[in-house]
Amino acid sequence: MKTQIRSRKDRECYPFILPAFIYLLVVVGYPIVYNFVLSFKNTNVKNLASGSSVFIGFQNYKELFTDPTFLLILRNTFIFTIACLAFQFTIGFLFALFFYKKFTFAGPIRGMILVSYMIPMSVTGLLGQNIFLNTGLINDLLSRIGITGPEWLTQTSTALIGVIIMNNWVGIPFNMLLLISGLSNVPQEVYESSSIDGATKVQQFFQITLPLMKDAIFAVLMLGFIYTFRAFDLMYIMTAGGPLNSTDVLATYSYTLSFTQYQFSKGSAVAVVLFLCLLIVGLFYLRLIVKGEEDT
Amino acid sequence: MKRKVLSIVMAGIMILGLGACGSSSSTTSTSSAAASTAQSTSSASAASSASAADTSAAESTASSSTSIPAVDPNTNGAEEITLWHYFDSSADAKAIVEKCNEYNKLQSKVHITPTYVSRTELMNQYTIGAVSGELPDIGMVDSPDMESYISLGVFEDVTDELGSWDELSNFYAGPLSSCKDASGKLYGLPQNSNCLCLAVNMDLLNKAGITDVPKSMDDFKKAVEATTDSANSVFGYAMCAISTEEGTFQLLPWIVATHDGTKSSLSDLTNANCDPGLDMLGSFVKNGNMSSECVNWTQADAYNQFCAGKAALAEVGTWHMATMSKDVNGTFNYKICLLPTGDSGTSSSTIGGENFGICTGCKDKAACVEFLKWFMSADQEAKWAVLAGKLPVRSDAKPEYTYEQDAFATFQDEMNYALARGPHAQWPTISEQLYTAAQKVLLQGTSASDALAAAWTVISPILQESPLPQQ
Repeated sequence: MKTQIRSRKDRECYPFILPAFIYLLVVVGYPIVYNFVLSFKNTNVKNLASGSSVFIGFQNYKELFTDPTFLLILRNTFIFTIACLAFQFTIGFLFALFFYKKFTFAGPIRGMILVSYMIPMSVTGLLGQNIFLNTGLINDLLSRIGITGPEWLTQTSTALIGVIIMNNWVGIPFNMLLLISGLSNVPQEVYESSSIDGATKVQQFFQITLPLMKDAIFAVLMLGFIYTFRAFDLMYIMTAGGPLNSTDVLATYSYTLSFTQYQFSKGSAVAVVLFLCLLIVGLFYLRLIVKGEEDT
Repeated sequence: MKRKVLSIVMAGIMILGLGACGSSSSTTSTSSAAASTAQSTSSASAASSASAADTSAAESTASSSTSIPAVDPNTNGAEEITLWHYFDSSADAKAIVEKCNEYNKLQSKVHITPTYVSRTELMNQYTIGAVSGELPDIGMVDSPDMESYISLGVFEDVTDELGSWDELSNFYAGPLSSCKDASGKLYGLPQNSNCLCLAVNMDLLNKAGITDVPKSMDDFKKAVEATTDSANSVFGYAMCAISTEEGTFQLLPWIVATHDGTKSSLSDLTNANCDPGLDMLGSFVKNGNMSSECVNWTQADAYNQFCAGKAALAEVGTWHMATMSKDVNGTFNYKICLLPTGDSGTSSSTIGGENFGICTGCKDKAACVEFLKWFMSADQEAKWAVLAGKLPVRSDAKPEYTYEQDAFATFQDEMNYALARGPHAQWPTISEQLYTAAQKVLLQGTSASDALAAAWTVISPILQESPLPQQ
């Protein structure tokens, strides 16, 4: 009986989500399906106008996964994402724990840290360009303590590090903000009773804070992964993907192939790889959420 | 279970959406930036300068204080013809509005409305417009890109309307050929030309004990080495080697040059004569005569290094002449000379410039053709060249430059040795291979022969299928 009522209620709800569903289908679903289809064709500058492109199966994917440039770019994307996530999350968490405490000027300082998050990414890219010049701010500071800094953005070994540092500059406040809101959901009573039981601060962190913030942490990590993995504007402005593709990521490469070299199908195939990587992470996170709901 | 599946599907769509936000620009998304039609006078943003190949993209001009007139909004019932351009230096931006207003007053049949769209965004809009059909009536394009856009179907064949124009023979063959497809059909007209020369800080050169500008690659190398002053952060040479078309534009003269009496060619990059120039540039970076930052510099950045006295010699374009005197501001004496890329007395350079094409679906092709005929008439060409610091595309246009006369005469001479890029539908891929090869030489110490051989493995099949025109 209960099941029947619930199922009827569900049916009554469907019309309400229908407009959003149709919107997503048209605005998001169609371009993605079109992108998938395009990635299996050979559409390029020579046949776009005539419409004479044909299906070539997995040829674009085969070419991509045997192309050293694409493999380098795939590697760059993962290094960039993982390095950014690791630093942003760790430092963001430390900042969150610090600024969650009530002390004089905690609010204003927290606000100041958020400034970097509020700056448009294109401006951050331009700042990064100047900070990491051979004679820029970083190398100037290093030279004052007797260290000769590297040629950050002109060496293939250091250019990605420069971009990662600038992305962290923006990402740390974002992580801090989300984790502070997660911290505020942890009941203070739990800390009080654990103190009475003699728990140390370290024990409280690992036994109370981390477990109770599990959902917030997963949300931050997943959102962080998605936002970082599809990064485009920072490297586009700061290095244009160079030198020698050392700061190119999947999103910039997809753009270059499609809009600079007019290899539309190949560009779409790169976009599909990008999408599949994000989908796997998304499904993994959803599985964890569903499991969590079942446990509770 | 149903709810679980539904939630997974919905969340999956959300992820798809997020993914699409990041990547779908490759195929489907458009930007509202194209719709922003402000007659912007600002200097180019990083994004636009990152891709502006050879135009006045990134620096203010001598007349930067001059305000840009408003486009006359009153069409007086005339048919409106939209014209998209990316002239963003104040001299160019002002001139295009003035010219359109002038033409609108000359006749009453059509009203030309010029609209500024940043170069990068304009190119994206052409690509998207090739599919969606949303194009202006007349569109401006960088000359080496025209062939690609003709192939994409952005421009309409106007051979019947323009092919019999008796003034067509007055246009220089190089710029005009960039408006044609492989079968010789015409899709528009070239509007301005430019090329590259060498700017020399004569004070630094004389201080290094050299009295005359370099005339051969050997002279040039000596001059660069002698003028490098690491203690004062002065590099001997500055150029742009960025990983965009802009980089290819400046690198090409060092690849296609005359050595031991034989000129190399893009049709065979394995020829040993393609190597000396690139190898020399690689040695400049290695020995500290040129900053490794040249791989991130736009042409405007390299020019600024020269004007700031931080580079004794620099590769500069015709359009820089409109501002050089003001930017150097009397701090040193300078001269413009032919690019000494090879044997003594020989030179090579690259042709740049903009074309105007009539877009597919144009609402009044005949009227657009009439406008182009007027806009590219000998008289208007001469005026434009002086206004914008460019070279005319017609032999019968005689600009009377009121500034930098000697420099413009040198640029005009350099045009005799300048190489056109393409026209070729796959020029962007060829270009990418060229700047990548050069960056390998500059940053990784790879020999020019190895780097160019790697590039040739990609370029060769393209040229076998569709060769570059003979030059």
